[in-house]
Amino acid sequence: MQDLVQLLLNGLSTGAVYALFALGYTLVFSVLGVINFAHGAVFTLGAYFTYFLIGGGAGANGLLAGLQLPFALPFWLALPLAGLMAAAVALVIERIAFRPLRAQGADPLLALITSLGAGVVLVNLIQLLVGAESYAIPTGSLGNLPAAIQLLGAQVRTVQLLLLAVAAGLVVVLSIWIDGSRSGKALRAVSEDPITAQLLGIPSGRMIQIAFGLSGFLAGIAGGLVGLSVSIAGPYFGIGYGLKGLGVLVLGGLGSVPGAVLGGLIIGLAEACVPADLSGYRDVVAYGFLFVMLLVRPQGLLGKVLPTKV
Amino acid sequence: MDLLRRVQKALALVGLGAALASCSSNRSDQLRLGAGIALTGNAGLLGQDARTGLDLAKLQFAQLQPRLELELEDTGSDEVGATVAFRRLINAKPVAILGPSLSQQGFAVMPMADRAGIPVIGVSTTAPGIPQLGPFVARVASPVTVVAPRSLAKALQLNPGIRRVAVFFAQDDVFCTSETQIFQQAIRAKGLDLVAVQRTSVADTDFQIPITNVLRSRPQLVVISALVADGGNLVRQLRELGYQGQIVAGNGLNTPNIYPVCQKHCDGMLITQAYNPSLDNASNRDLLKLFRRGRPADAVPPQVTAQAYTGYQVVHEALAKLKGTLPKGQSLTSLPLADLRQRLLKTLLAGTYQTPLGELRFSPEGEVVQRDFSVARVSMDADGRSGRFVLQP
Repeated sequence: MQDLVQLLLNGLSTGAVYALFALGYTLVFSVLGVINFAHGAVFTLGAYFTYFLIGGGAGANGLLAGLQLPFALPFWLALPLAGLMAAAVALVIERIAFRPLRAQGADPLLALITSLGAGVVLVNLIQLLVGAESYAIPTGSLGNLPAAIQLLGAQVRTVQLLLLAVAAGLVVVLSIWIDGSRSGKALRAVSEDPITAQLLGIPSGRMIQIAFGLSGFLAGIAGGLVGLSVSIAGPYFGIGYGLKGLGVLVLGGLGSVPGAVLGGLIIGLAEACVPADLSGYRDVVAYGFLFVMLLVRPQGLLGKVLPTKV
Repeated sequence: MDLLRRVQKALALVGLGAALASCSSNRSDQLRLGAGIALTGNAGLLGQDARTGLDLAKLQFAQLQPRLELELEDTGSDEVGATVAFRRLINAKPVAILGPSLSQQGFAVMPMADRAGIPVIGVSTTAPGIPQLGPFVARVASPVTVVAPRSLAKALQLNPGIRRVAVFFAQDDVFCTSETQIFQQAIRAKGLDLVAVQRTSVADTDFQIPITNVLRSRPQLVVISALVADGGNLVRQLRELGYQGQIVAGNGLNTPNIYPVCQKHCDGMLITQAYNPSLDNASNRDLLKLFRRGRPADAVPPQVTAQAYTGYQVVHEALAKLKGTLPKGQSLTSLPLADLRQRLLKTLLAGTYQTPLGELRFSPEGEVVQRDFSVARVSMDADGRSGRFVLQP
């Protein structure tokens, strides 16, 4: 029983990170039908923003060597603020990497490349400014909360539970907003058919900006939380999560919010089931599972098969 | 008036010629030394330490003959990046190359330099088999076979009751896989129980799953072969998940750059040191003096910084010695480059050097022979942000 609880906790806490990451991809994909490859860089920025907002200083190897903000915010305040800053960056990316192509009616595939370029530029900019060294959000940032807790005999780190709770909370809020609010419904209308939505008076451009802003906010929050959990291992630390997030996005069903969550949790659980002596092959198991799932159900777990217009 | 202009022109031409001549005569004494180290990616933290060592050596030897111009290339942290960097370095026609940072990269790129007939000296490549890659390959970083078992022995000395040992290693890095083999052999040779072996990746940051797997086997000692970012995170999460026993870390974590990663949880880790900052020789005094400029008076260079400095120093000293063997008036740059490299290699391998790492020499196949090692215990300050490597008696 204890082993089963441990396995579930391991899988859910790992999967929550993937789910949070994939949610950001999903939002942009749902309105534009393309994957924003700069999402990983925005995630990374979220972690750096959080680090600096709580009073962290830049190391010795970048142009901003030794820089430290004149104030230090508590983590619970720095995190949403970092999310907002990441959202602002995501809006800039939309403005320079997506909108010009959209305005010219370019093939959506081209936006993959411009977003990839934007991501590479951002990562290198981070390196130029603050160097390649690791930064860590202090372990005591969660106040007096214990580092780990026991649940039914299983051990889990408090920050992992926090990630799980935040991911769950954000999914609930997003789902309520998309299904229950006027603007959420407008977003769905744009994702179904932007031209018709525009004709019906829905500002498609504005809705796309909202999707990018929300996606950036989620990436920023995820980056800050993951940075707290595992330290910020240099400007490239979002890449691994970005690849896994893509897998989760496809597994859950492109553009499906509940699918992103379900996909994240399934991949997390699949990784947790890998036996100890094969632990270095967790990615093989996760992606192998993804491969088989897609052979059986190409639209993903909760994705829809759209009829082809002829 | 016309005559005056002609004189002015002639003077200007003479001045220009003199300037060019002086410029070219300065350059004629200057040799190019290549360095390929990881400044980016997950080995970037090790590479930054090496860069510091190279910069300090450049300062130290700037005024001494022969003059060396350092050509630095970022190898990134993978073989592809290292290959690109080494190709550029080889094209730059250096007299020798220092690097790369990782053994994994070394196996890919050191043979490139060897085929080009360029002496290549590893400053942090400690996996077995590096000097055997070719006649032009050498290293100043002692092999893991010599280094790794010492910290294990120290852990057992500090706590003779240890029986149950668990091992973590990054399976996608050749240094880590070779180091763990040495550790595991030593564990078995000492009659200890190897209760768990967990494979990780250098790109991993979340270790909840492997750690909870290992903790079920109730280890009294955990031995880690990883690099800085993944290894530091592993140590931190081990402690957060309740592990209280001794931790022995491999050479990949042998840098103060782990402090911000594992923070207060770095405390107590044992790591073998190929560099002893308290060594009292002229070379180490020079290194410490340079390193402490703009730093606290008791600041101590990381091991890789000392090794990179040493790499530069042995090349410089070998070149100076070689210059001394040439007929009077002949400069090193007058030798054909291929010949110069051959002679440098021969001189380098024949020499004995007083370095910050102690007295060094090389075996005929380029393996470093070093006598002085010690084991350090990481001691973190109360704020958990800074610390030091405290050498154990």
